[in-house]
Amino acid sequence: MSSVDLKTDVPHSARVYDYLLGGKDNFAADREAAAKITAVWPNLPTSMRANRNFMTRVAHYLAARQGIRQFLDIGTGLPTSPNLHEVVQAVAPESRVVYVDNDPIVLVHARALLTSSPEGRTTYIDASLRDPDSIIKAPQLAQTLDLSQPVAVCLLAIMHYVVDEQEAHDIIDRLMGPMPSGSALALSTATADSNPEEVGRGIAMYNARGITSKVRTKAEVTALFDGLGLVSPGVPLVHQWHPDDEALSIEDSQVSMYGGVAIKP
Amino acid sequence: MVTRGQEGGSAGPTILRVLLGAHLRRLREARGISREDAGWKIRSSESKISRMELGRVSFKERDIADLLTLYGCHDEEERSRLVALAKEANTPGWWHRYGDVTPNWFQAYVGLESAANLIRTYEVQFVPGLLQTREYARAVIMLGHGRAADQEIAHRVELRMSRQQILTRPEPVQLWVVIDETALRRPVGGVEVMRGQIEALIATAKLPNVRLQVIPFDVGGHAAAGGSYSILRFPDPELPDVVYIEQLTSAVYLDKREDVDQYTTAMEVLCVKAEPPERTFDVLDGILSDLHTHS
Repeated sequence: MSSVDLKTDVPHSARVYDYLLGGKDNFAADREAAAKITAVWPNLPTSMRANRNFMTRVAHYLAARQGIRQFLDIGTGLPTSPNLHEVVQAVAPESRVVYVDNDPIVLVHARALLTSSPEGRTTYIDASLRDPDSIIKAPQLAQTLDLSQPVAVCLLAIMHYVVDEQEAHDIIDRLMGPMPSGSALALSTATADSNPEEVGRGIAMYNARGITSKVRTKAEVTALFDGLGLVSPGVPLVHQWHPDDEALSIEDSQVSMYGGVAIKP
Repeated sequence: MVTRGQEGGSAGPTILRVLLGAHLRRLREARGISREDAGWKIRSSESKISRMELGRVSFKERDIADLLTLYGCHDEEERSRLVALAKEANTPGWWHRYGDVTPNWFQAYVGLESAANLIRTYEVQFVPGLLQTREYARAVIMLGHGRAADQEIAHRVELRMSRQQILTRPEPVQLWVVIDETALRRPVGGVEVMRGQIEALIATAKLPNVRLQVIPFDVGGHAAAGGSYSILRFPDPELPDVVYIEQLTSAVYLDKREDVDQYTTAMEVLCVKAEPPERTFDVLDGILSDLHTHS
């Protein structure tokens, strides 16, 4: 086997995210980048936590209210409690979750620590969102998910790394294409609408650190759900989507993510 | 929002506090004394005891002395050792090589181990202590202390077995082991003992909180070639990870961020190079059938 260079000396989005959520799976380059970014974007950690809590509420909604038992989570990131499979397996232990990421460190952590309930199943695919066919055609997907039954495709805090609008639409079409009626798309992505100056500076800093990313308007985010039926309340800032008490305590200007859930007709 | 200490700051004493706190908790529980009663004894509250036991507050010498009395710890040597530990725990920024400070370095490790919620271990030579069978543990201990009295050997084996409780307690520790195939092939204690050990590994690796990855022979030299070590993580978000490296007569504890980063990077490389956890059972089955042919 050839030598492995994990490039821990270069900031990585998953580890910066981990650091900003209070995790310990990060390295000096990640912490330094995070410090530079939060210096100009002080609300980012609050926004990321709001996004993480959005994931929890969405996953619970999909399992409990939509009865979905199969999940395809792309851009898994480093484990942070509660993880998606924990949320949905708490509702239905037999739930199956396929985690997808292309970062080797994220993948080893996912394989070791994102472990299923005995009734359900978790599997892991080493693939990039930028190559959706490699996800859809992965043998682990066919072994884990029954594509005659609804699947929830989760693209949470990842689409802002796809900066080309046409490519973003193509990716979602490719992923949702093989999914049967009743499947869901859960998506959240960055916006500057709620705090243009601060977020603008922050995104510029992300790009300067080599993590290419973009913000979208509400109309652009809504368009990502084209052809699918958005559930109420549509595409609000993530803390306004079926808020709990914690979400209600957050100001709009602190949150720079839109999110929503849509069902395939 | 989580507040953070300075990078590379004086995290040492916090670990000592965790250590001392965990030790006090074990003493209290062994006596069946409630946190409330213990709090009363030191003119304070249940929640103060709870914070002390989690290593979240500094210790007053007088409180430690009163608690040790309440917990029936009257041995002067032990008492002064723990009070000294409490003093050290209140001293900022001194601490990297715990092994220099006390000969009881291994007790210190056991304390940290029981306070951790995630332990990552890389093992080159032996099956890790937390996964050893009684017979295998005895054989390993005999290698190092072959001339010790039977009673001492038995005592060491017992210590090792009791450490394993952290795997099955309520809210068990998450144990993530990377082990070199060499360690699984070397028949410590003979073929029979090794067979029992491999069978036990197959059973333990099925626990939801235990993950075992094997580095096969055909993977060349690897980054952590220095040798075995562990990285311990604690539930408190403020506490840094600690790297633990055992040596013949002492142990090294590293908690400076730069050191921990280097050992963690090496651990990530090992995990990437090792077979994924789902392959472990095939590897263990293969070793087991080889052991059957050889017997």
